[in-house]
Amino acid sequence: MVLSARLARFAAARPPSFLVAAPGATGTRLRAEAELRRRDRRCVAAPPAAAVLVVCGRPGAGLGAAVERVWDGMPGPRARVGLGETASREEIAAALETTALEPAAPPSHQDEDVPMADRAADRDGLKLDVLHVPLGPVLADWPAGLALRLTLQGDIVQAAETVVVDAPEGPSFWDGPWLRAAAGQPVTVGEAERRRAASHLDGIGRLLAVAGWQHAADQARALRDEVLADTPAEALTARYAGFARRVRRSRTLRWMLTDVGVLSSETAGRYGLAGYLGDAHDRLTGRLDEIGQALAQVDAQALLTGDGGPRGPIGQRPSGALLAVLPRLMEGAELAAARLTVASLDPDIDQLAVPAEAAGG
Amino acid sequence: MGEATPVWAVVALPLVLAGLICSAAALDAVFCAGGRPADPLREGVRLLLQQRRRTRGADLLLMRAGVISLPVAAFLAAMVIPLGAAPVLPSSVGVVWFNAMEVVAWASLWLTGWGADSAFPLIGGYRFLAQGLAYELPHMFALITAALAAGSLDLGAVAAAQEGLWFAVWMPVAFAVYLLSALAMAFWGPMGHPLAGDVAGGVPLELAGPDRLLFFAGRLALLAVAAAAAVPLFLGGGAGPWLPAWAWSLVKTYAVLVPLVWVRQRVPVVRMDRFMQVAWTVLIPATLLQMLVVGLVVLD
Repeated sequence: MVLSARLARFAAARPPSFLVAAPGATGTRLRAEAELRRRDRRCVAAPPAAAVLVVCGRPGAGLGAAVERVWDGMPGPRARVGLGETASREEIAAALETTALEPAAPPSHQDEDVPMADRAADRDGLKLDVLHVPLGPVLADWPAGLALRLTLQGDIVQAAETVVVDAPEGPSFWDGPWLRAAAGQPVTVGEAERRRAASHLDGIGRLLAVAGWQHAADQARALRDEVLADTPAEALTARYAGFARRVRRSRTLRWMLTDVGVLSSETAGRYGLAGYLGDAHDRLTGRLDEIGQALAQVDAQALLTGDGGPRGPIGQRPSGALLAVLPRLMEGAELAAARLTVASLDPDIDQLAVPAEAAGG
Repeated sequence: MGEATPVWAVVALPLVLAGLICSAAALDAVFCAGGRPADPLREGVRLLLQQRRRTRGADLLLMRAGVISLPVAAFLAAMVIPLGAAPVLPSSVGVVWFNAMEVVAWASLWLTGWGADSAFPLIGGYRFLAQGLAYELPHMFALITAALAAGSLDLGAVAAAQEGLWFAVWMPVAFAVYLLSALAMAFWGPMGHPLAGDVAGGVPLELAGPDRLLFFAGRLALLAVAAAAAVPLFLGGGAGPWLPAWAWSLVKTYAVLVPLVWVRQRVPVVRMDRFMQVAWTVLIPATLLQMLVVGLVVLD
């Protein structure tokens, strides 16, 4: 008995975690990811591979139901950690330290049965099986609060529908400095540029993880956390230069991202997405340039006046246009390309939230 | 091969294979950011103590058959690889046997992916079939090139034919293609699309507990066996100064295995919709040309 107890303790020392973020909880997610990294605890890509389910923020009805289903399917010993939207670093650390793994009860309700495949003509007119597969809302490296209803033949997307699962919470964490400046508060350019660099590093981390390059994705996220933790500019630029060089030089990455999720200048013009022109690799290198420029200004003390947030003018809420254009880019794409497209556009659902003053009337 | 197989080799083979799996897993953990060498052991114990789970509608028989056949195939493939002087199972058609066992992994992945009755594992299964179509022909041509130069399908004879000059040196294209297909047959690193993060881990997504442990151990076993087979095929087998043959076999196996494990950190995943074209328009002609050159040298 002593031996098995010791073995169980050894196995449970650094359990792998799966992280779900609710809309409006971006800040909590970032603090939780940083705390997990500080403890050398792995985040895994799927709930069955995890022992700990970390839920950041308060899921609404739609996401909440999805989280319950995922929790039901997690094998024990397991634990669930709920982190509030305002949870501080210390609170998160305490919650992660004190998690005790417990055996799983039998599932409270069964999985929904996977419906039988229909048949329909594919692009070449062949009769092929059609499968309806949802992407999100509980999915690793995926925008919080987004779901895509895909119609697949094999792994080719025939049709896609974007669904915002619950009412967006807002305000957007990434637009924070610009929103505060617009509300008349004094915000320095340096603070805003830090936020811009971190936002792009977060998006690039997701893109690299979806592209199957975990090592570089981890680097991007470690850099992101340092940018947000007010690390001095000199230390950041040196480390960032190494990371950017590595990502730019990867021929395999360029080969895999070229011609994925191409936004033509005509479509981009129609949707007001001038900053998103080209394919996934163009967008990646554009973001890398912007991070370099942003890191050069993190000490600027001038007051912020513009409204050019990480995703474009915050007043225009570019994420709305991104969601509108997504189904067009999905059709005919392979599933892997579809996921890379979403990651390379990186919509922020929180941007869609109705501002408090407008909602309040 | 005239030498009889020593009894110790029969006992040693599973131990050597287990050692290779553990050290490959530990190396992979160390290469990861924030990883520690004991992590795989910890994860292994965790999976052994974990409750089992099943998805509704899962075909457990197919799924278990897929999971179990993975390490079994790797072990059977290892039996014809000479550990030092002679393999556990001396065979005049060792190269064909090795190739056949490695193709069992196709069935393993497909059965595991299909049996879960879940969309992402199924898509992972599809992906491996496409991967098989891309890598298998260049891989077979690379194997046949080595066999052609030695005039034998016996791995021991292939190793013995390299006295003086390793095949890796004078047939570099075949060796390079072999290394690439070693990654592909173990669906590892850049060739890990069937298990990629974009489908939440793909084929083994729904596996938990001992099933999951067996699956991932089987994958590392395949990678280790592919590295070990490169030694008699291209690196002169157990031949070398001072050390005994088994020691040289082990040293050379690690010389191949360590870079294969390491490359996962350096390169993103390669998708088959892009790689297929390269495989058929570049790799197949290149391996055929290599075979032609080797054939002309042998005829001479």
